[in-house]
Amino acid sequence: MAFYDRMMKIDRRIIYLCMTLAVALPLIAPIGMPVQVSDETRGFYDHIEDLEAGDIVLFSFDYEGDVMAELNPMSIAALRHLFRQDVRVVALTTYAGGTGIAQGILERVAAEYDKHYGTDYVFLGYNPDWSGTILRLGESFKATYPADQFGKSTREIPLMQEVETYDDIALLISIAGSALSEYWAIWAGGRYGVTVVSGNTAIQAILIYPYYNAGQIPGFLGGLKGAAEYEKMVGKPGLGIKGMDAQSVAHLLMLSFIVVGNIGYFLSRRHEARLKRE
Amino acid sequence: MKRQGPVLLAFIIGMLMLIQFFTPNPLFLRIYNLFLDWKQVVLGCTLILGTWSLIRHHTRKIERKQENWQYSYVTLIGLAAMVLAALIWKTEGGPYTWMFQNMQVPMQSTMFSLLAFFVASASYRAFRARTFAATLLLIAGAVVMLGRVPVGALIGGSIGGHEVTVSTVADWILNVPNLAAKRGIMMGVGLGMTATAIKIILGIETTYLGKSD
Repeated sequence: MAFYDRMMKIDRRIIYLCMTLAVALPLIAPIGMPVQVSDETRGFYDHIEDLEAGDIVLFSFDYEGDVMAELNPMSIAALRHLFRQDVRVVALTTYAGGTGIAQGILERVAAEYDKHYGTDYVFLGYNPDWSGTILRLGESFKATYPADQFGKSTREIPLMQEVETYDDIALLISIAGSALSEYWAIWAGGRYGVTVVSGNTAIQAILIYPYYNAGQIPGFLGGLKGAAEYEKMVGKPGLGIKGMDAQSVAHLLMLSFIVVGNIGYFLSRRHEARLKRE
Repeated sequence: MKRQGPVLLAFIIGMLMLIQFFTPNPLFLRIYNLFLDWKQVVLGCTLILGTWSLIRHHTRKIERKQENWQYSYVTLIGLAAMVLAALIWKTEGGPYTWMFQNMQVPMQSTMFSLLAFFVASASYRAFRARTFAATLLLIAGAVVMLGRVPVGALIGGSIGGHEVTVSTVADWILNVPNLAAKRGIMMGVGLGMTATAIKIILGIETTYLGKSD
Protein backbone atom coordinates (compact mmCIF):
# COMPACT_ATOMS: atom_id res chain seq x y z
CA MET A 1 0.00 0.00 0.00
CA ALA A 2 1.33 3.45 -0.96
CA PHE A 3 2.16 5.91 1.80
CA TYR A 4 -0.68 8.26 0.86
CA ASP A 5 -3.10 5.34 0.92
CA ARG A 6 -2.03 4.58 4.46
CA MET A 7 -2.66 8.22 5.34
CA MET A 8 -6.20 7.83 4.04
CA LYS A 9 -6.91 4.47 5.62
CA ILE A 10 -5.76 4.65 9.23
CA ASP A 11 -7.25 1.76 11.18
CA ARG A 12 -10.19 2.94 13.25
CA ARG A 13 -8.80 1.13 16.29
CA ILE A 14 -5.75 3.43 16.18
CA ILE A 15 -8.10 6.44 16.06
CA TYR A 16 -10.06 5.06 19.03
CA LEU A 17 -6.87 4.47 21.03
CA CYS A 18 -5.55 7.98 20.28
CA MET A 19 -8.93 9.46 21.24
CA THR A 20 -8.92 7.55 24.54
CA LEU A 21 -5.47 8.90 25.37
CA ALA A 22 -6.38 12.42 24.22
CA VAL A 23 -9.34 12.50 26.63
CA ALA A 24 -7.81 10.57 29.54
CA LEU A 25 -4.31 12.06 29.79
CA PRO A 26 -5.34 15.73 30.20
CA LEU A 27 -7.82 14.67 32.89
CA ILE A 28 -5.03 12.84 34.77
CA ALA A 29 -2.41 15.53 34.17
CA PRO A 30 -4.19 18.87 33.52
CA ILE A 31 -2.55 21.37 31.18
CA GLY A 32 -4.43 24.40 32.51
CA MET A 33 -5.70 25.99 29.29
CA PRO A 34 -6.80 29.60 29.88
CA VAL A 35 -10.58 30.01 29.75
CA GLN A 36 -11.92 33.23 28.20
CA VAL A 37 -15.46 34.24 29.06
CA SER A 38 -17.84 34.76 26.12
CA ASP A 39 -20.67 37.31 25.94
CA GLU A 40 -23.27 34.50 26.03
CA THR A 41 -21.90 33.19 29.32
CA ARG A 42 -21.64 36.70 30.73
CA GLY A 43 -25.33 37.22 29.89
CA PHE A 44 -26.26 34.06 31.80
CA TYR A 45 -24.10 35.07 34.78
CA ASP A 46 -25.38 38.66 34.87
CA HIS A 47 -29.02 37.59 34.94
CA ILE A 48 -28.40 35.46 38.04
CA GLU A 49 -26.16 38.13 39.56
CA ASP A 50 -28.95 40.69 39.19
CA LEU A 51 -31.36 38.58 41.28
CA GLU A 52 -32.06 39.66 44.83
CA ALA A 53 -32.15 37.55 47.98
CA GLY A 54 -35.56 35.90 48.29
CA ASP A 55 -36.30 35.93 44.55
CA ILE A 56 -37.68 32.69 43.16
CA VAL A 57 -36.14 30.96 40.15
CA LEU A 58 -37.69 28.13 38.13
CA PHE A 59 -34.93 25.63 37.36
CA SER A 60 -35.67 22.99 34.74
CA PHE A 61 -33.41 19.96 34.38
CA ASP A 62 -34.17 19.12 30.74
CA TYR A 63 -31.80 16.22 30.34
CA GLU A 64 -30.96 12.64 31.26
CA GLY A 65 -27.83 10.60 31.93
CA ASP A 66 -26.58 10.64 28.35
CA VAL A 67 -25.50 14.29 28.43
CA MET A 68 -24.86 14.70 32.15
CA ALA A 69 -21.08 14.95 31.63
CA GLU A 70 -21.69 18.16 29.70
CA LEU A 71 -24.66 19.56 31.60
CA ASN A 72 -24.14 18.55 35.24
CA PRO A 73 -21.27 21.06 35.67
CA MET A 74 -23.66 23.81 34.50
CA SER A 75 -26.46 22.75 36.84
CA ILE A 76 -24.11 22.51 39.82
CA ALA A 77 -22.45 25.87 39.12
CA ALA A 78 -25.80 27.63 38.53
CA LEU A 79 -27.33 26.24 41.74
CA ARG A 80 -24.23 27.29 43.70
CA HIS A 81 -24.56 30.77 42.24
CA LEU A 82 -28.27 30.91 43.13
CA PHE A 83 -27.95 29.59 46.67
CA ARG A 84 -24.95 31.82 47.32
CA GLN A 85 -27.25 34.78 46.62
CA ASP A 86 -30.02 33.33 48.80
CA VAL A 87 -32.26 32.94 45.79
CA ARG A 88 -34.96 30.30 46.21
CA VAL A 89 -35.34 27.54 43.66
CA VAL A 90 -38.38 25.70 42.30
CA ALA A 91 -36.97 22.80 40.29
CA LEU A 92 -38.54 20.32 37.89
CA THR A 93 -37.50 17.99 35.10
CA THR A 94 -39.07 17.32 31.73
CA TYR A 95 -37.35 13.92 31.45
CA ALA A 96 -38.23 10.77 33.40
CA GLY A 97 -34.54 9.95 33.70
CA GLY A 98 -33.83 13.46 34.92
CA THR A 99 -35.47 12.97 38.31
CA GLY A 100 -32.58 11.07 39.93
CA ILE A 101 -30.02 13.45 38.46
CA ALA A 102 -31.88 16.58 39.52
CA GLN A 103 -32.62 15.28 43.00
CA GLY A 104 -28.97 14.31 43.56
CA ILE A 105 -27.63 17.69 42.43
CA LEU A 106 -30.23 19.68 44.39
CA GLU A 107 -29.56 17.79 47.64
CA ARG A 108 -25.80 18.02 47.21
CA VAL A 109 -25.63 21.77 46.46
CA ALA A 110 -28.33 22.62 49.01
CA ALA A 111 -26.28 20.85 51.70
CA GLU A 112 -23.20 22.92 50.72
CA TYR A 113 -25.12 26.14 51.42
CA ASP A 114 -27.26 24.86 54.29
CA LYS A 115 -30.50 25.29 52.35
CA HIS A 116 -33.66 23.53 53.45
CA TYR A 117 -36.24 21.67 51.42
CA GLY A 118 -39.62 23.35 51.30
CA THR A 119 -38.45 26.81 52.24
CA ASP A 120 -35.31 27.38 50.15
CA TYR A 121 -35.93 24.92 47.36
CA VAL A 122 -38.56 22.52 46.04
CA PHE A 123 -38.37 19.68 43.57
CA LEU A 124 -41.62 19.21 41.66
CA GLY A 125 -40.36 16.15 39.77
CA TYR A 126 -41.34 14.89 36.35
CA ASN A 127 -44.49 15.46 34.36
CA PRO A 128 -44.85 13.40 31.15
CA ASP A 129 -46.40 16.22 29.09
CA TRP A 130 -43.59 18.75 28.73
CA SER A 131 -45.44 21.09 26.34
CA GLY A 132 -48.57 21.07 28.48
CA THR A 133 -46.42 21.62 31.56
CA ILE A 134 -44.74 24.71 30.13
CA LEU A 135 -48.09 26.24 29.16
CA ARG A 136 -50.05 25.15 32.23
CA LEU A 137 -47.44 26.58 34.64
CA GLY A 138 -48.34 29.97 33.18
CA GLU A 139 -51.84 29.55 34.60
CA SER A 140 -51.17 27.63 37.82
CA PHE A 141 -48.15 25.89 39.30
CA LYS A 142 -50.24 24.02 41.85
CA ALA A 143 -52.73 22.74 39.27
CA THR A 144 -49.86 21.51 37.09
CA TYR A 145 -48.07 19.91 40.03
CA PRO A 146 -50.60 19.03 42.75
CA ALA A 147 -47.77 17.18 44.53
CA ASP A 148 -43.98 17.43 44.57
CA GLN A 149 -41.56 14.64 43.66
CA PHE A 150 -42.04 13.05 47.09
CA GLY A 151 -45.82 13.06 46.98
CA LYS A 152 -46.31 16.01 49.31
CA SER A 153 -49.11 18.38 48.36
CA THR A 154 -47.69 21.58 46.87
CA ARG A 155 -50.36 23.52 48.80
CA GLU A 156 -48.61 22.48 52.02
CA ILE A 157 -45.08 23.44 50.94
CA PRO A 158 -44.16 26.91 52.31
CA LEU A 159 -42.19 28.03 49.25
CA MET A 160 -45.04 27.05 46.91
CA GLN A 161 -47.39 29.39 48.81
CA GLU A 162 -45.57 32.22 47.06
CA VAL A 163 -45.66 30.70 43.59
CA GLU A 164 -48.85 30.71 41.56
CA THR A 165 -47.83 31.59 37.99
CA TYR A 166 -44.78 32.74 36.03
CA ASP A 167 -45.46 36.23 37.42
CA ASP A 168 -43.91 35.03 40.68
CA ILE A 169 -40.78 33.76 38.92
CA ALA A 170 -37.85 36.15 38.63
CA LEU A 171 -35.90 34.00 36.18
CA LEU A 172 -36.31 30.69 34.37
CA ILE A 173 -33.23 28.54 33.86
CA SER A 174 -33.37 25.60 31.46
CA ILE A 175 -30.39 23.26 31.36
CA ALA A 176 -31.18 21.19 28.29
CA GLY A 177 -29.81 18.43 26.14
CA SER A 178 -32.58 18.95 23.59
CA ALA A 179 -34.72 21.73 22.10
CA LEU A 180 -36.52 22.27 25.42
CA SER A 181 -34.75 25.60 26.06
CA GLU A 182 -36.22 26.89 22.82
CA TYR A 183 -39.73 25.87 23.88
CA TRP A 184 -39.32 27.48 27.30
CA ALA A 185 -38.27 30.68 25.49
CA ILE A 186 -41.12 30.51 22.97
CA TRP A 187 -43.97 29.56 25.32
CA ALA A 188 -42.97 30.64 28.83
CA GLY A 189 -40.95 33.62 27.58
CA GLY A 190 -43.06 34.62 24.60
CA ARG A 191 -46.52 34.09 26.01
CA TYR A 192 -46.00 34.75 29.73
CA GLY A 193 -43.07 37.18 29.63
CA VAL A 194 -40.72 35.32 31.96
CA THR A 195 -37.00 35.82 31.29
CA VAL A 196 -35.33 32.61 30.14
CA VAL A 197 -31.61 31.78 30.22
CA SER A 198 -30.26 28.38 29.31
CA GLY A 199 -27.42 25.90 29.43
CA ASN A 200 -27.10 23.63 26.43
CA THR A 201 -24.98 20.89 24.97
CA ALA A 202 -22.46 22.11 22.39
CA ILE A 203 -24.58 20.64 19.57
CA GLN A 204 -27.75 22.30 20.84
CA ALA A 205 -26.03 25.61 21.60
CA ILE A 206 -25.67 26.34 17.89
CA LEU A 207 -29.47 26.39 17.63
CA ILE A 208 -29.79 28.88 20.48
CA TYR A 209 -28.06 31.74 18.64
CA PRO A 210 -31.24 33.00 16.90
CA TYR A 211 -32.94 33.33 20.30
CA TYR A 212 -29.84 34.91 21.85
CA ASN A 213 -29.49 37.46 19.08
CA ALA A 214 -33.20 38.30 19.26
CA GLY A 215 -32.98 38.74 23.05
CA GLN A 216 -35.40 35.87 23.73
CA ILE A 217 -32.64 34.01 25.57
CA PRO A 218 -30.40 36.81 26.86
CA GLY A 219 -27.64 34.48 28.02
CA PHE A 220 -26.66 30.85 27.62
CA LEU A 221 -23.91 28.39 28.39
CA GLY A 222 -22.76 26.54 25.28
CA GLY A 223 -21.41 23.07 25.96
CA LEU A 224 -18.63 22.20 28.34
CA LYS A 225 -16.83 25.39 27.29
CA GLY A 226 -19.76 27.46 28.54
CA ALA A 227 -19.76 25.48 31.79
CA ALA A 228 -16.04 26.13 32.24
CA GLU A 229 -16.45 29.86 31.57
CA TYR A 230 -19.30 30.04 34.04
CA GLU A 231 -17.40 28.10 36.71
CA LYS A 232 -14.60 30.61 36.28
CA MET A 233 -17.01 33.53 36.78
CA VAL A 234 -18.68 31.91 39.79
CA GLY A 235 -15.22 31.26 41.24
CA LYS A 236 -15.75 27.55 41.89
CA PRO A 237 -13.72 25.50 39.40
CA GLY A 238 -15.32 22.14 38.72
CA LEU A 239 -15.72 19.47 36.08
CA GLY A 240 -16.24 22.06 33.33
CA ILE A 241 -12.78 23.61 33.71
CA LYS A 242 -11.24 20.16 34.22
CA GLY A 243 -12.82 18.94 31.00
CA MET A 244 -11.58 21.85 28.89
CA ASP A 245 -8.06 20.45 28.54
CA ALA A 246 -9.39 17.06 27.47
CA GLN A 247 -11.81 18.63 24.98
CA SER A 248 -9.08 20.89 23.53
CA VAL A 249 -6.70 17.97 23.00
CA ALA A 250 -9.49 15.76 21.61
CA HIS A 251 -10.52 18.46 19.10
CA LEU A 252 -6.90 19.01 18.06
CA LEU A 253 -6.50 15.28 17.58
CA MET A 254 -9.60 15.05 15.40
CA LEU A 255 -8.35 17.95 13.29
CA SER A 256 -4.94 16.31 12.96
CA PHE A 257 -6.55 13.13 11.62
CA ILE A 258 -8.67 15.17 9.19
CA VAL A 259 -5.56 17.04 7.96
CA VAL A 260 -3.62 13.77 7.54
CA GLY A 261 -6.52 12.24 5.61
CA ASN A 262 -6.72 15.26 3.30
CA ILE A 263 -2.97 15.33 2.65
CA GLY A 264 -3.23 11.65 1.70
CA TYR A 265 -6.19 12.47 -0.55
CA PHE A 266 -4.33 15.25 -2.39
CA LEU A 267 -1.21 13.12 -2.81
CA SER A 268 -3.31 10.29 -4.22
CA ARG A 269 -5.01 12.67 -6.68
CA ARG A 270 -1.64 14.03 -7.78
CA HIS A 271 -0.39 10.50 -8.28
CA GLU A 272 -3.48 9.57 -10.32
CA ALA A 273 -3.06 12.70 -12.48
CA ARG A 274 0.58 11.84 -13.11
CA LEU A 275 -0.35 8.29 -14.13
CA LYS A 276 -2.95 9.65 -16.58
CA ARG A 277 -0.40 12.00 -18.16
CA GLU A 278 2.03 9.13 -18.61
CA MET B 1 -69.87 9.97 10.72
CA LYS B 2 -66.84 7.82 11.53
CA ARG B 3 -64.65 10.42 9.84
CA GLN B 4 -66.87 13.49 10.12
CA GLY B 5 -67.05 13.28 13.92
CA PRO B 6 -63.27 13.56 14.55
CA VAL B 7 -62.94 16.25 11.85
CA LEU B 8 -65.71 18.28 13.51
CA LEU B 9 -64.09 17.78 16.91
CA ALA B 10 -60.72 18.93 15.54
CA PHE B 11 -62.41 22.00 14.04
CA ILE B 12 -64.20 22.98 17.27
CA ILE B 13 -61.19 22.43 19.54
CA GLY B 14 -58.80 23.99 17.04
CA MET B 15 -60.94 27.12 16.72
CA LEU B 16 -61.40 27.37 20.50
CA MET B 17 -57.66 27.19 21.09
CA LEU B 18 -57.06 29.72 18.33
CA ILE B 19 -59.59 32.19 19.70
CA GLN B 20 -58.46 31.86 23.32
CA PHE B 21 -54.97 33.00 22.32
CA PHE B 22 -56.33 36.37 21.23
CA THR B 23 -58.92 37.00 23.94
CA PRO B 24 -58.61 37.55 27.70
CA ASN B 25 -62.18 36.26 28.16
CA PRO B 26 -62.27 34.15 31.40
CA LEU B 27 -64.50 31.53 29.75
CA PHE B 28 -61.94 30.84 27.05
CA LEU B 29 -59.20 30.78 29.70
CA ARG B 30 -61.13 28.11 31.61
CA ILE B 31 -61.55 26.06 28.43
CA TYR B 32 -57.85 26.47 27.67
CA ASN B 33 -56.86 25.26 31.16
CA LEU B 34 -59.30 22.37 30.93
CA PHE B 35 -57.80 21.23 27.63
CA LEU B 36 -54.28 21.51 29.06
CA ASP B 37 -55.33 19.33 32.00
CA TRP B 38 -56.90 16.79 29.64
CA LYS B 39 -53.72 16.84 27.55
CA GLN B 40 -51.64 15.97 30.61
CA VAL B 41 -53.99 13.12 31.51
CA VAL B 42 -53.90 11.78 27.94
CA LEU B 43 -50.09 12.01 27.86
CA GLY B 44 -49.94 10.20 31.20
CA CYS B 45 -52.08 7.41 29.76
CA THR B 46 -49.74 7.05 26.79
CA LEU B 47 -47.08 5.91 29.26
CA ILE B 48 -49.30 2.97 30.18
CA LEU B 49 -49.92 2.27 26.51
CA GLY B 50 -46.19 2.51 25.78
CA THR B 51 -45.32 0.11 28.60
CA TRP B 52 -47.95 -2.37 27.44
CA SER B 53 -46.70 -2.10 23.85
CA LEU B 54 -43.09 -2.70 24.99
CA ILE B 55 -44.07 -5.80 26.99
CA ARG B 56 -46.16 -7.20 24.13
CA HIS B 57 -43.43 -6.58 21.56
CA HIS B 58 -40.76 -8.35 23.58
CA THR B 59 -42.90 -11.27 24.76
CA ARG B 60 -43.87 -11.94 21.12
CA LYS B 61 -40.22 -11.73 20.13
CA ILE B 62 -39.36 -14.35 22.76
CA GLU B 63 -42.29 -16.58 21.76
CA ARG B 64 -41.31 -16.51 18.08
CA LYS B 65 -37.58 -16.78 18.80
CA GLN B 66 -36.90 -13.82 16.51
CA GLU B 67 -33.37 -12.54 15.94
CA ASN B 68 -31.64 -11.51 19.23
CA TRP B 69 -34.68 -12.66 21.23
CA GLN B 70 -32.43 -13.28 24.25
CA TYR B 71 -31.99 -9.53 24.74
CA SER B 72 -35.73 -9.17 25.15
CA TYR B 73 -35.37 -10.98 28.48
CA VAL B 74 -32.92 -8.24 29.57
CA THR B 75 -35.46 -5.55 28.65
CA LEU B 76 -38.35 -7.26 30.44
CA ILE B 77 -36.31 -8.12 33.54
CA GLY B 78 -34.95 -4.54 33.66
CA LEU B 79 -38.45 -3.11 33.37
CA ALA B 80 -39.85 -5.42 36.06
CA ALA B 81 -36.89 -4.79 38.40
CA MET B 82 -37.25 -1.01 38.23
CA VAL B 83 -41.02 -1.08 38.68
CA LEU B 84 -40.89 -3.53 41.59
CA ALA B 85 -38.04 -1.66 43.28
CA ALA B 86 -39.99 1.60 43.04
CA LEU B 87 -43.19 -0.02 44.34
CA ILE B 88 -41.54 -1.86 47.25
CA TRP B 89 -38.79 0.54 48.37
CA LYS B 90 -40.13 3.80 46.81
CA THR B 91 -37.99 6.12 44.71
CA GLU B 92 -36.08 7.78 47.57
CA GLY B 93 -32.89 5.84 48.23
CA GLY B 94 -32.93 2.05 48.23
CA PRO B 95 -32.49 -0.33 45.26
CA TYR B 96 -34.41 1.89 42.81
CA THR B 97 -32.05 4.83 43.28
CA TRP B 98 -29.06 2.50 43.37
CA MET B 99 -30.03 0.90 40.04
CA PHE B 100 -30.72 4.30 38.52
CA GLN B 101 -27.43 5.86 39.65
CA ASN B 102 -25.21 2.83 39.11
CA MET B 103 -26.77 1.14 36.09
CA GLN B 104 -29.01 3.38 34.04
CA VAL B 105 -26.99 6.61 34.25
CA PRO B 106 -23.58 4.97 33.50
CA MET B 107 -25.10 3.01 30.59
CA GLN B 108 -26.67 6.15 29.11
CA SER B 109 -23.40 8.08 29.56
CA THR B 110 -21.42 5.25 28.00
CA MET B 111 -23.65 5.08 24.94
CA PHE B 112 -23.34 8.83 24.40
CA SER B 113 -19.58 8.84 25.08
CA LEU B 114 -19.06 6.32 22.30
CA LEU B 115 -20.05 9.11 19.93
CA ALA B 116 -16.64 10.74 20.50
CA PHE B 117 -14.97 7.69 18.96
CA PHE B 118 -17.43 7.29 16.12
CA VAL B 119 -17.39 11.00 15.28
CA ALA B 120 -13.56 11.02 15.29
CA SER B 121 -13.42 8.04 12.95
CA ALA B 122 -16.29 9.21 10.72
CA SER B 123 -15.03 12.80 10.38
CA TYR B 124 -11.55 11.52 9.47
CA ARG B 125 -13.06 9.46 6.65
CA ALA B 126 -15.78 11.86 5.49
CA PHE B 127 -14.15 15.31 5.75
CA ARG B 128 -12.31 15.30 2.43
CA ALA B 129 -11.92 18.46 0.32
CA ARG B 130 -13.37 16.78 -2.80
CA THR B 131 -15.50 19.72 -3.99
CA PHE B 132 -15.77 23.45 -3.26
CA ALA B 133 -18.80 22.91 -1.01
CA ALA B 134 -17.05 20.08 0.85
CA THR B 135 -13.99 22.32 1.32
CA LEU B 136 -16.15 25.12 2.74
CA LEU B 137 -17.80 22.67 5.14
CA LEU B 138 -14.41 21.30 6.12
CA ILE B 139 -12.97 24.76 6.86
CA ALA B 140 -16.07 25.92 8.76
CA GLY B 141 -16.15 22.68 10.75
CA ALA B 142 -12.47 22.90 11.61
CA VAL B 143 -12.73 26.56 12.70
CA VAL B 144 -15.80 25.94 14.88
CA MET B 145 -14.26 22.80 16.36
CA LEU B 146 -11.15 24.73 17.39
CA GLY B 147 -13.03 27.89 18.27
CA ARG B 148 -15.29 26.13 20.76
CA VAL B 149 -12.37 25.09 22.97
CA PRO B 150 -9.88 27.35 24.82
CA VAL B 151 -7.04 26.53 22.44
CA GLY B 152 -8.92 28.45 19.71
CA ALA B 153 -8.46 31.71 21.59
CA LEU B 154 -4.70 31.16 21.59
CA ILE B 155 -4.41 30.81 17.81
CA GLY B 156 -4.52 34.10 15.91
CA GLY B 157 -3.06 37.58 15.84
CA SER B 158 -3.69 41.23 15.16
CA ILE B 159 -5.14 42.14 11.75
CA GLY B 160 -5.60 45.85 11.04
CA GLY B 161 -5.58 46.65 14.74
CA HIS B 162 -8.22 44.00 15.50
CA GLU B 163 -7.46 40.90 17.52
CA VAL B 164 -8.54 37.98 15.33
CA THR B 165 -8.40 34.47 16.74
CA VAL B 166 -9.91 31.17 15.68
CA SER B 167 -12.49 31.71 18.43
CA THR B 168 -13.59 35.09 17.04
CA VAL B 169 -13.90 33.60 13.54
CA ALA B 170 -15.91 30.68 15.01
CA ASP B 171 -18.18 33.19 16.76
CA TRP B 172 -18.70 35.00 13.45
CA ILE B 173 -19.60 31.73 11.72
CA LEU B 174 -22.11 30.91 14.46
CA ASN B 175 -23.54 34.42 14.66
CA VAL B 176 -23.83 35.21 10.95
CA PRO B 177 -24.04 32.32 8.44
CA ASN B 178 -25.30 29.79 10.99
CA LEU B 179 -27.82 32.27 12.37
CA ALA B 180 -29.10 33.21 8.90
CA ALA B 181 -29.56 29.57 7.91
CA LYS B 182 -31.25 28.66 11.19
CA ARG B 183 -33.62 31.64 10.97
CA GLY B 184 -34.52 30.71 7.41
CA ILE B 185 -35.26 27.14 8.48
CA MET B 186 -37.27 28.32 11.50
CA MET B 187 -39.39 30.63 9.38
CA GLY B 188 -40.01 27.84 6.88
CA VAL B 189 -40.93 25.41 9.64
CA GLY B 190 -43.16 28.01 11.31
CA LEU B 191 -45.06 28.75 8.11
CA GLY B 192 -45.34 25.03 7.38
CA MET B 193 -46.73 24.35 10.85
CA THR B 194 -49.25 27.17 10.52
CA ALA B 195 -50.39 25.92 7.12
CA THR B 196 -50.72 22.34 8.38
CA ALA B 197 -52.62 23.48 11.49
CA ILE B 198 -55.08 25.46 9.36
CA LYS B 199 -55.54 22.48 7.04
CA ILE B 200 -56.25 20.19 10.01
CA ILE B 201 -58.69 22.65 11.60
CA LEU B 202 -60.54 23.07 8.30
CA GLY B 203 -60.64 19.32 7.67
CA ILE B 204 -58.47 19.48 4.53
CA GLU B 205 -55.67 17.45 6.12
CA THR B 206 -57.07 14.23 7.60
CA THR B 207 -54.14 11.83 7.52
CA TYR B 208 -54.14 11.85 11.34
CA LEU B 209 -57.33 9.77 11.13
CA GLY B 210 -55.45 6.95 9.46
CA LYS B 211 -56.26 5.34 6.09
CA SER B 212 -59.68 6.01 4.58
CA ASP B 213 -62.07 3.09 4.31
